[in-house]
Amino acid sequence: MVVLSAARWVRSRLSDRFWRVQEVLKYARHFRGRKNRCYKLAVRSVRRAFVRSTKARKEKKRFLRALWITRIEAASLEHGLKYPAFISNLVKSQVELNRKVLADLAIYEPKTFKSLAALAQRRRQEGFLAALGDGNEPEGIFSRIVHHH
Amino acid sequence: RYVRQLQRLQLLFSPTAADARGARQFVEEAAQDFARQHPDVVLYVSPRSGPGPAPVLRAEYLNGTVREELIASKTSEEIVQLATKLANQSGLDIIRIRKPFHTDNPSIQGQWHPLTNKPSILTIQGPHLQPQ
Repeated sequence: MVVLSAARWVRSRLSDRFWRVQEVLKYARHFRGRKNRCYKLAVRSVRRAFVRSTKARKEKKRFLRALWITRIEAASLEHGLKYPAFISNLVKSQVELNRKVLADLAIYEPKTFKSLAALAQRRRQEGFLAALGDGNEPEGIFSRIVHHH
Repeated sequence: RYVRQLQRLQLLFSPTAADARGARQFVEEAAQDFARQHPDVVLYVSPRSGPGPAPVLRAEYLNGTVREELIASKTSEEIVQLATKLANQSGLDIIRIRKPFHTDNPSIQGQWHPLTNKPSILTIQGPHLQPQ
Protein backbone atom coordinates (compact mmCIF):
# COMPACT_ATOMS: atom_id res chain seq x y z
CA MET A 1 0.00 0.00 0.00
CA VAL A 2 1.50 3.36 -0.95
CA VAL A 3 0.94 6.06 1.64
CA LEU A 4 1.37 9.48 0.10
CA SER A 5 0.27 11.56 3.06
CA ALA A 6 0.56 11.01 6.82
CA ALA A 7 -2.49 9.68 8.54
CA ARG A 8 -4.50 12.56 9.87
CA TRP A 9 -5.09 11.15 13.33
CA VAL A 10 -1.32 11.03 14.10
CA ARG A 11 -0.13 14.28 15.70
CA SER A 12 3.56 15.09 16.16
CA ARG A 13 4.83 15.67 19.67
CA LEU A 14 7.01 18.60 20.70
CA SER A 15 10.66 17.56 20.96
CA ASP A 16 12.51 20.81 21.82
CA ARG A 17 10.38 21.96 24.75
CA PHE A 18 13.52 22.10 26.93
CA TRP A 19 15.22 24.68 24.73
CA ARG A 20 12.08 26.79 24.37
CA VAL A 21 11.82 26.92 28.15
CA GLN A 22 15.51 27.70 28.56
CA GLU A 23 15.21 30.66 26.17
CA VAL A 24 12.94 32.32 28.71
CA LEU A 25 14.62 31.08 31.88
CA LYS A 26 18.04 32.35 30.84
CA TYR A 27 16.77 35.91 31.33
CA ALA A 28 15.35 35.07 34.75
CA ARG A 29 18.39 33.44 36.33
CA HIS A 30 19.29 36.42 38.51
CA PHE A 31 15.77 36.90 39.90
CA ARG A 32 14.74 36.22 43.46
CA GLY A 33 12.53 33.38 44.58
CA ARG A 34 10.74 30.77 42.51
CA LYS A 35 10.51 32.96 39.44
CA ASN A 36 14.12 32.14 38.60
CA ARG A 37 13.31 28.41 38.37
CA CYS A 38 9.65 27.89 37.52
CA TYR A 39 8.68 28.61 33.92
CA LYS A 40 5.10 29.73 34.60
CA LEU A 41 6.21 32.39 37.06
CA ALA A 42 9.30 33.27 35.05
CA VAL A 43 7.38 34.08 31.88
CA ARG A 44 5.41 36.81 33.63
CA SER A 45 8.47 38.21 35.42
CA VAL A 46 10.64 38.23 32.32
CA ARG A 47 7.99 40.01 30.29
CA ARG A 48 7.59 42.67 32.99
CA ALA A 49 11.35 43.04 33.23
CA PHE A 50 11.61 43.68 29.48
CA VAL A 51 8.78 46.20 29.53
CA ARG A 52 10.39 48.00 32.44
CA SER A 53 13.77 48.07 30.72
CA THR A 54 12.32 49.66 27.58
CA LYS A 55 10.42 52.25 29.59
CA ALA A 56 13.46 53.01 31.73
CA ARG A 57 15.52 54.20 28.77
CA LYS A 58 13.76 57.58 28.87
CA GLU A 59 14.11 57.82 32.61
CA LYS A 60 17.81 56.95 32.49
CA LYS A 61 18.45 60.19 30.63
CA ARG A 62 16.58 62.17 33.26
CA PHE A 63 18.31 60.32 36.09
CA LEU A 64 21.80 60.85 34.70
CA ARG A 65 21.16 64.55 34.12
CA ALA A 66 20.01 64.95 37.71
CA LEU A 67 23.14 63.11 38.87
CA TRP A 68 25.39 65.42 36.87
CA ILE A 69 23.61 68.47 38.22
CA THR A 70 24.07 67.24 41.80
CA ARG A 71 27.77 66.69 41.23
CA ILE A 72 28.31 70.08 39.56
CA GLU A 73 26.41 71.73 42.39
CA ALA A 74 28.62 70.06 44.99
CA ALA A 75 31.80 70.97 43.12
CA SER A 76 30.84 74.59 42.54
CA LEU A 77 29.81 75.00 46.19
CA GLU A 78 33.35 73.97 47.12
CA HIS A 79 34.51 76.98 45.13
CA GLY A 80 31.91 79.29 46.63
CA LEU A 81 29.39 79.40 43.78
CA LYS A 82 25.85 78.14 43.66
CA TYR A 83 24.75 75.97 40.73
CA PRO A 84 22.35 78.43 39.00
CA ALA A 85 24.95 81.21 39.19
CA PHE A 86 27.67 78.89 37.87
CA ILE A 87 25.69 77.59 34.91
CA SER A 88 24.14 80.92 33.91
CA ASN A 89 27.46 82.74 34.03
CA LEU A 90 29.19 80.01 32.03
CA VAL A 91 26.50 80.30 29.37
CA LYS A 92 26.85 84.07 29.31
CA SER A 93 30.61 83.69 28.81
CA GLN A 94 29.88 81.50 25.77
CA VAL A 95 31.35 78.37 27.35
CA GLU A 96 29.11 75.72 25.81
CA LEU A 97 30.00 72.77 28.02
CA ASN A 98 27.20 70.36 28.84
CA ARG A 99 26.54 68.97 32.28
CA LYS A 100 28.05 65.59 31.52
CA VAL A 101 31.40 67.11 30.61
CA LEU A 102 31.30 69.53 33.55
CA ALA A 103 30.66 66.67 35.96
CA ASP A 104 33.55 64.66 34.48
CA LEU A 105 35.85 67.68 34.74
CA ALA A 106 34.82 68.20 38.35
CA ILE A 107 35.81 64.63 39.16
CA TYR A 108 38.91 64.04 37.07
CA GLU A 109 40.25 67.56 36.42
CA PRO A 110 39.65 69.59 39.58
CA LYS A 111 42.01 72.42 38.61
CA THR A 112 40.20 72.99 35.31
CA PHE A 113 36.92 73.07 37.18
CA LYS A 114 38.37 75.60 39.62
CA SER A 115 39.34 77.85 36.72
CA LEU A 116 35.85 77.50 35.23
CA ALA A 117 34.34 78.46 38.58
CA ALA A 118 36.65 81.48 38.73
CA LEU A 119 35.58 82.46 35.21
CA ALA A 120 31.91 82.23 36.18
CA GLN A 121 32.56 84.27 39.32
CA ARG A 122 34.35 87.01 37.36
CA ARG A 123 31.55 87.16 34.77
CA ARG A 124 29.08 87.43 37.63
CA GLN A 125 30.90 90.39 39.12
CA GLU A 126 31.05 92.07 35.72
CA GLY A 127 27.34 91.50 35.32
CA PHE A 128 26.67 93.17 38.67
CA LEU A 129 28.88 96.12 37.73
CA ALA A 130 27.16 96.54 34.39
CA ALA A 131 23.73 96.42 36.02
CA LEU A 132 24.44 98.55 39.10
CA GLY A 133 27.38 100.73 38.01
CA ASP A 134 25.34 103.10 35.80
CA GLY A 135 27.56 102.97 32.73
CA ASN A 136 30.64 104.86 33.99
CA GLU A 137 32.90 101.81 34.31
CA PRO A 138 34.53 100.21 31.26
CA GLU A 139 32.80 97.17 29.81
CA GLY A 140 33.74 93.85 31.31
CA ILE A 141 36.35 91.72 29.52
CA PHE A 142 34.61 88.40 29.88
CA SER A 143 31.26 89.96 28.96
CA ARG A 144 32.38 90.46 25.38
CA ILE A 145 30.54 88.21 22.94
CA VAL A 146 32.41 86.59 20.07
CA HIS A 147 30.34 86.19 16.90
CA HIS A 148 31.22 83.17 14.75
CA HIS A 149 29.97 83.50 11.19
CA ARG B 1 48.13 48.78 8.55
CA TYR B 2 45.12 46.46 8.74
CA VAL B 3 45.71 43.07 10.38
CA ARG B 4 42.90 40.59 9.82
CA GLN B 5 41.75 39.22 13.16
CA LEU B 6 40.53 35.92 11.72
CA GLN B 7 43.26 33.30 11.95
CA ARG B 8 41.73 30.16 10.49
CA LEU B 9 38.43 28.82 9.21
CA GLN B 10 37.75 25.13 9.69
CA LEU B 11 35.03 23.58 7.57
CA LEU B 12 33.89 20.40 9.36
CA PHE B 13 31.33 18.37 7.47
CA SER B 14 30.49 14.84 6.50
CA PRO B 15 30.81 13.94 2.79
CA THR B 16 27.67 11.81 2.83
CA ALA B 17 25.22 13.70 5.04
CA ALA B 18 22.27 15.36 3.30
CA ASP B 19 22.41 18.67 5.13
CA ALA B 20 26.09 19.15 4.20
CA ARG B 21 25.22 19.54 0.52
CA GLY B 22 25.81 23.29 0.62
CA ALA B 23 29.14 22.76 2.33
CA ARG B 24 30.22 20.28 -0.37
CA GLN B 25 29.16 22.70 -3.13
CA PHE B 26 31.04 25.49 -1.37
CA VAL B 27 34.19 23.36 -1.25
CA GLU B 28 33.88 22.45 -4.92
CA GLU B 29 33.07 25.89 -6.28
CA ALA B 30 33.71 28.86 -4.05
CA ALA B 31 36.32 27.79 -1.50
CA GLN B 32 39.29 28.49 -3.78
CA ASP B 33 38.02 31.95 -4.72
CA PHE B 34 37.39 32.73 -1.08
CA ALA B 35 40.89 31.58 -0.12
CA ARG B 36 42.41 33.72 -2.87
CA GLN B 37 40.43 36.79 -1.87
CA HIS B 38 41.46 36.40 1.79
CA PRO B 39 45.15 35.47 1.66
CA ASP B 40 45.76 36.00 5.39
CA VAL B 41 43.09 33.50 6.46
CA VAL B 42 43.94 29.80 6.47
CA LEU B 43 41.06 27.64 5.27
CA TYR B 44 41.00 24.04 6.50
CA VAL B 45 38.58 21.58 4.94
CA SER B 46 38.21 18.49 7.11
CA PRO B 47 35.57 15.97 6.03
CA ARG B 48 34.63 13.64 8.86
CA SER B 49 33.51 10.19 7.91
CA GLY B 50 30.27 8.50 8.92
CA PRO B 51 27.15 10.02 10.43
CA GLY B 52 28.40 12.69 12.81
CA PRO B 53 27.31 16.02 14.24
CA ALA B 54 25.89 18.78 12.05
CA PRO B 55 28.22 20.52 9.56
CA VAL B 56 29.89 23.49 11.15
CA LEU B 57 32.13 26.40 10.15
CA ARG B 58 34.60 27.09 12.97
CA ALA B 59 36.36 30.48 13.06
CA GLU B 60 39.39 31.06 15.29
CA TYR B 61 40.57 34.58 15.99
CA LEU B 62 43.87 36.09 17.06
CA ASN B 63 42.67 36.73 20.62
CA GLY B 64 41.72 33.07 21.05
CA THR B 65 37.93 33.14 20.65
CA VAL B 66 36.49 30.24 18.68
CA ARG B 67 33.15 30.84 16.99
CA GLU B 68 31.16 27.98 15.47
CA GLU B 69 28.37 28.59 12.97
CA LEU B 70 26.04 25.88 11.73
CA ILE B 71 25.98 25.50 7.96
CA ALA B 72 23.44 22.68 7.79
CA SER B 73 21.00 23.10 4.90
CA LYS B 74 22.58 26.31 3.67
CA THR B 75 23.35 27.09 0.07
CA SER B 76 26.84 27.75 -1.18
CA GLU B 77 26.19 31.49 -1.53
CA GLU B 78 24.95 31.72 2.04
CA ILE B 79 28.10 29.96 3.26
CA VAL B 80 30.23 32.44 1.30
CA GLN B 81 28.38 35.34 2.92
CA LEU B 82 28.78 33.78 6.34
CA ALA B 83 32.49 33.24 5.79
CA THR B 84 33.03 36.85 4.67
CA LYS B 85 31.08 38.05 7.73
CA LEU B 86 33.31 35.99 10.02
CA ALA B 87 36.40 37.20 8.19
CA ASN B 88 35.48 40.84 8.76
CA GLN B 89 34.77 40.39 12.48
CA SER B 90 37.24 40.70 15.30
CA GLY B 91 37.31 38.08 18.01
CA LEU B 92 35.73 40.26 20.72
CA ASP B 93 32.63 38.87 22.46
CA ILE B 94 29.37 39.96 20.98
CA ILE B 95 27.77 41.52 24.02
CA ARG B 96 26.39 44.94 24.84
CA ILE B 97 29.22 47.49 25.15
CA ARG B 98 28.53 49.50 28.25
CA LYS B 99 30.42 52.61 27.20
CA PRO B 100 31.63 53.60 23.72
CA PHE B 101 34.85 54.95 25.23
CA HIS B 102 37.62 53.69 27.50
CA THR B 103 40.73 55.28 28.96
CA ASP B 104 43.53 53.86 31.04
CA ASN B 105 44.37 57.33 32.39
CA PRO B 106 41.10 59.14 33.01
CA SER B 107 42.63 61.82 35.21
CA ILE B 108 45.55 64.06 34.25
CA GLN B 109 45.39 66.64 37.02
CA GLY B 110 44.75 64.03 39.69
CA GLN B 111 41.34 62.64 40.59
CA TRP B 112 39.26 64.62 43.06
CA HIS B 113 39.42 63.50 46.68
CA PRO B 114 37.83 65.26 49.63
CA LEU B 115 41.05 67.12 50.42
CA THR B 116 41.75 68.60 46.96
CA ASN B 117 40.07 71.95 47.57
CA LYS B 118 40.80 72.24 51.27
CA PRO B 119 43.70 74.29 52.69
CA SER B 120 46.87 72.23 52.64
CA ILE B 121 47.34 72.63 56.40
CA LEU B 122 44.90 69.72 56.78
CA THR B 123 47.10 67.29 54.89
CA ILE B 124 50.25 67.94 56.85
CA GLN B 125 51.16 65.06 59.13
CA GLY B 126 53.85 65.58 61.62
CA PRO B 127 54.58 66.96 65.05
CA HIS B 128 51.89 69.43 66.08
CA LEU B 129 52.69 72.92 64.84
CA GLN B 130 52.34 75.45 67.62
CA PRO B 131 49.82 78.19 66.79
CA GLN B 132 51.70 81.49 66.44
